[in-house]
Amino acid sequence: MIQRLSYAFRETIASFRRNMTLSVAAVITSAVSLLLVGTTFLIQRAFDNLLTQWRGDVGMIVFVRPDVTPEALGFIKQNLESQPNVIDVKKLEYLDKTQSFAEAQRVFAGDPTTLSLLSIETIPSQFKVVPKTTDPELVRSLANQYRTLPGVAGVSLAEDEFDVISTLSGFVRTVTIGMSLVLLAVAVILIWNTIRTAIFARRREIEVMKLVGATDWFIRVPFILEGLIQGLTGALVSCAGLWGLNSAWTSGVAGFKSGTGVSALVVPGSYVNGVMIALLIIGAVAGGVGSGVASSKFLDV
Amino acid sequence: MGTLTASWRVTSVGVEGRQSKPHKGFRGAPPIPALVARLVYFMIRLENVSKMYGSELPAVRDASFDVPKGEFVFLVGPSGSGKSTLLRLMNRQERPERGNVWVAGRNINEMANSQIPHLRRTMGNVFQDYKLLPNKTVFENVAFALEVIGKPKHVIGQQVPQVLDLVGLSGKEDRFPHQLSGGEQQRVSIARAFVNRPLILLADEPTGNLDPATGEGIMGLLDAINRTGTTIVMATHDHRVVNAMRRRVIQLDRGVIVRDQERGVYE
Repeated sequence: MIQRLSYAFRETIASFRRNMTLSVAAVITSAVSLLLVGTTFLIQRAFDNLLTQWRGDVGMIVFVRPDVTPEALGFIKQNLESQPNVIDVKKLEYLDKTQSFAEAQRVFAGDPTTLSLLSIETIPSQFKVVPKTTDPELVRSLANQYRTLPGVAGVSLAEDEFDVISTLSGFVRTVTIGMSLVLLAVAVILIWNTIRTAIFARRREIEVMKLVGATDWFIRVPFILEGLIQGLTGALVSCAGLWGLNSAWTSGVAGFKSGTGVSALVVPGSYVNGVMIALLIIGAVAGGVGSGVASSKFLDV
Repeated sequence: MGTLTASWRVTSVGVEGRQSKPHKGFRGAPPIPALVARLVYFMIRLENVSKMYGSELPAVRDASFDVPKGEFVFLVGPSGSGKSTLLRLMNRQERPERGNVWVAGRNINEMANSQIPHLRRTMGNVFQDYKLLPNKTVFENVAFALEVIGKPKHVIGQQVPQVLDLVGLSGKEDRFPHQLSGGEQQRVSIARAFVNRPLILLADEPTGNLDPATGEGIMGLLDAINRTGTTIVMATHDHRVVNAMRRRVIQLDRGVIVRDQERGVYE
């Protein structure tokens, strides 16, 4: 078994050397495509942070002063629930101070100044309101009405805050996913072609192997391994690139003035690590599939 | 199995003059029991085999013959008469359109693809153009055949020098094929074919690229291998070697067997 493994690795490395230029091309292409895939993930996550307050068709947020009396809070709630024609009462959600504080951690992830000013005691709690009506003017007049209620700190409308961002997010997502899929396909095709060339270069050897009774898998494994390593190497390079990109981005965002909202675009390190692991898996699978298909097609064993 | 059973002939162990171990069968297939192994008289058997390439004339038409264990058979005939195709049918590089090919008691046309490597480990192949790997030494070329079927290092270290000694290449282990004469290259290729002690050796024009004296040496070597009990089927159009050896001759003409003669000559 060990002897077979060492054989497979020796052959893989020898083949890598023989096909240096093609192998490098395959590695670079997979690195670039995977970097784009990773960037898509990060951009998406950044937008999600920005929009996290508004998730689930929330159209209006009523912020309640942290020092509100239970009576005033009850009155606000009653007021909201008394408009079942305009407000989807079933989806009405109240985030208490603890929940609001947890949400703020995400929204202000890249803005430590603002974050340090917040505490569970001083943060406003909030009602998330999902409007039933599609008439923006009706929602706006309702918002103006709530602003005057006792205990209300302020009312935000989704329309004012994020409609542009939401549209932009959708557009960026479509473009980056589309581009990374195309590039990933190119990477798989390049790996496939590299393996085909490697098989052609070794056709005499393969003929002899078949005639002396080597099994199909014994012949195939070095080629599959080669593609897998190419995909994995590309993924490693893309991980390094992604890490660099994210560090540059994070330090760049830190330079913005606090409270501008840009700070929400920072992505936490744990998420970046998750994306890197995903990239390694995608790279290995793409390389393995490309070379696997090529080796079963061209070996004809 | 019916037709084969009818043609089995009991050969007592005494005929071969030594107690040989029964063939263990191909891995994954039920082993051939000791008694049956002794009963398998025909190492190779073709039953009404036809092979066509595309829509052209058949390369082999309705060929039937048996090759008993330990026999030396010449397939003769002009180029394109179907000699090589017959050899390729025997190690299942080709499958016939019609008919059956039996090797060591098994119908190889019905064998699963996964069984073919194990079938081929019981056969050696020798070619006119040697098919040596140019970037490997003599030793490595022969060792390669054992390495790729997963033989352990110590077995390789033991068997390769033995077989190189047998073919007369001791001392040339570290040479590369291009540093050898044609005859020596063919000896390496025979060593590679024989190193795993196959039951059958298939040779396709092994003397085709060699001068008569060198070819004679190769034939001597094949004869010695045949005397160890290995069945040999050799395709050739070399009159001299056929006439000198006086072994069984099967003559082909445009894919049809026109003569099958014990101790024959090339006509």
